[in-house]
Amino acid sequence: MSRKTKVLLSKLGLDVHNRGIITVAKGLSNAGMEVVYIGNALPPEIISSAIQEGVDVVGVSSLGGAHITLGIPLIEEAKNKRVYDTITFLMGGVFPPQDALRLKAVGFDEVFTPGTKIEDIVSFIHTRSTD
Amino acid sequence: MKEQMKTTKEILHEKLSERKTTPLYSPEALESIRQTVNQWMNSTVREKDRKNWLKTPHTVLRSDIPREMLYTPLANAGLDYQADLGHSGQEPFTRGIHANMYRGREFTMRQLTGFGSPEDTNRRMKFMVDHGATGLNILFDLPTIQMYDSDDPMSAGQVGMSGVCVDSVEDMDLLFKDLPLDEVSVSIVTHYPSNTAILFPMFLVLAEERGIPWDRLRGSVQNDVTLEELIRSGAEYTPPHDCFRIQCDNIQFIRENIPQWNFITLNGYNLREFGTSGVTEMAVAVANGIETLEEMVRRGYDVDAIADRLAFFWSPASDFFEEVSRLRAVRRLWFKIMKYRFNATNPRSMWMRCHVQTSGVSLVQQEPLNNIIRSAYHALSAVFGGAQSLHVDSYDEAYSVPTEEAALLSLRTQQIIQRETGITDVVDPLGGSFYVEALTNEIEKRILDEVDEIEREGGYVAAIESGKLHKKIATYFFNQQREIEEGKIKIVACNIYNSDTEPPPINVFQYPEGVEERQKAKLARLRLKRDSERVNSALKGLKEACKKRKNILPYSIDCARARCTEGELFKVFKEAYGLWEPPTLW
Repeated sequence: MSRKTKVLLSKLGLDVHNRGIITVAKGLSNAGMEVVYIGNALPPEIISSAIQEGVDVVGVSSLGGAHITLGIPLIEEAKNKRVYDTITFLMGGVFPPQDALRLKAVGFDEVFTPGTKIEDIVSFIHTRSTD
Repeated sequence: MKEQMKTTKEILHEKLSERKTTPLYSPEALESIRQTVNQWMNSTVREKDRKNWLKTPHTVLRSDIPREMLYTPLANAGLDYQADLGHSGQEPFTRGIHANMYRGREFTMRQLTGFGSPEDTNRRMKFMVDHGATGLNILFDLPTIQMYDSDDPMSAGQVGMSGVCVDSVEDMDLLFKDLPLDEVSVSIVTHYPSNTAILFPMFLVLAEERGIPWDRLRGSVQNDVTLEELIRSGAEYTPPHDCFRIQCDNIQFIRENIPQWNFITLNGYNLREFGTSGVTEMAVAVANGIETLEEMVRRGYDVDAIADRLAFFWSPASDFFEEVSRLRAVRRLWFKIMKYRFNATNPRSMWMRCHVQTSGVSLVQQEPLNNIIRSAYHALSAVFGGAQSLHVDSYDEAYSVPTEEAALLSLRTQQIIQRETGITDVVDPLGGSFYVEALTNEIEKRILDEVDEIEREGGYVAAIESGKLHKKIATYFFNQQREIEEGKIKIVACNIYNSDTEPPPINVFQYPEGVEERQKAKLARLRLKRDSERVNSALKGLKEACKKRKNILPYSIDCARARCTEGELFKVFKEAYGLWEPPTLW
């Protein structure tokens, strides 16, 4: 791949906690990716920004409990706008392990729970981009 | 802050450096110890330890304060008992704000509650009180915190999650059903000056409608510019100068009308969780406190009329002795600031009263029951440090809102400390420890140095606007992540002693069903039945007050009476004040 992997990162909904997502933004940027961080946004805005920016990856963060209630609409919106198959969808934040499984069943390509290392996110993205 | 004005550090140095001291240790004793220490270092202490004499604990939310292997009187050679420690309840209050501390008044067990609809949270509050909680502490959901109505598109999928939804006075009424507002002390966690100005009036109107005079109400609000402008991620921000003015306006109104209410809880906790050391946490809160008091004095208040209702909110984390020492350090520092910088005369003005919440970021998802032990140590350090009120985070912190059983365990953690350990029978039990006193001194010095830095850069609000503090925080939390990933900061079962087997699963909180739908329906009914002329007139009055930069609380109270909803008031703020683009974090 000659061009950089492009990633859109966002806080899901009104969640106030952005320490994690900023750390990931910096980590991915340090790993040579192009990162666009749009702050707090709802699914329609996240997908339209992803399309506008032409990203390879969308990563969203939720510590406020809305990972399922907003995660499902996010995947649905991606499918409606026909970008689900061309973008890798990642979710991170604070939620129980059983919800992590549910999120993958819903359509997230990978879910990163507390204790995740940045390098794991980076290598996951790299394996996806060589598929 | 004008450049020609002296900084707090300069003022304190001027006033205190000429004091006569009465050293506790005699020169002969110190000299003798110096000699034996030298002998000991060369004969008993191993070379490896001599070479690594200073060691900095690598903990989550660490500071960079090195520790000696052994502390002796030499670490605090100039200790003057009366001037540096004093007795409890006596200047400089290092040992505690009251003479009898927990013998006279036990620390309040004030666990946070908040999820689902007001009725759900009301039930959990009663459960906690039934099991021995001595204070109420209410956390709102993200839409409510960020000032959107439950039926606003911004709130979709988030109503009643990680906090309770409140849109109007009617919700406040349900939240406090069967709870006597004039008998119980309530911490209403309105984090921001802006949402304090919207939500607290709803509480006041509720009291009014229940026939409870405002002078019978006891409790606190957060009302802190730090939370609104420095440490949260949000879609829309009020400009910092308006936010700070509203913070002070809230203080002014509450001071004049609700005499027993604590009108600001300086942060503290959320800042540190976001990413700062325990030293920076305190420096920021102190700088905010100083700037706030200066503003109130500028408005014509005697400092003694304000300072006694000002409180602090700290985050005890894992470096045990640092946590104990820093509570003592900031208590002594705040006294010095109140007495020597602000010339307060009432002892109550000089007390650093605080609530603490044990650190959430220090708890992990792996082997969650280990978090019970972590939180217990955090809580213990706060009790040794002399905190007035505690919330202990629950073991399922990295999963969701606490289950009933996890919340109960947090309460039991406090009760066991209070009733079973004997610790609370003695005031400041660690006072006099060579280590604790040395660390208290070092931390006090560092806090003041960082306050000085903030003041030299133009003051606290200026530091927020410039982005300097945002950068400092981001640097800190990047380093924390790196240190954890590199294993420099060790976390049991996370990056050390990792287990191959999964522990038994814990119960995880399940949000009640249908909260959002019910809340939306409630709002629809409210909008139909209320007097829309009265609503419009109240909002209009608020808008004019905002535009004129007046104290908006009386107008907000009027809006609450008219059954305006929170989002309607925030809309007025946005139109009147405009929006601020905060500095980026990377």
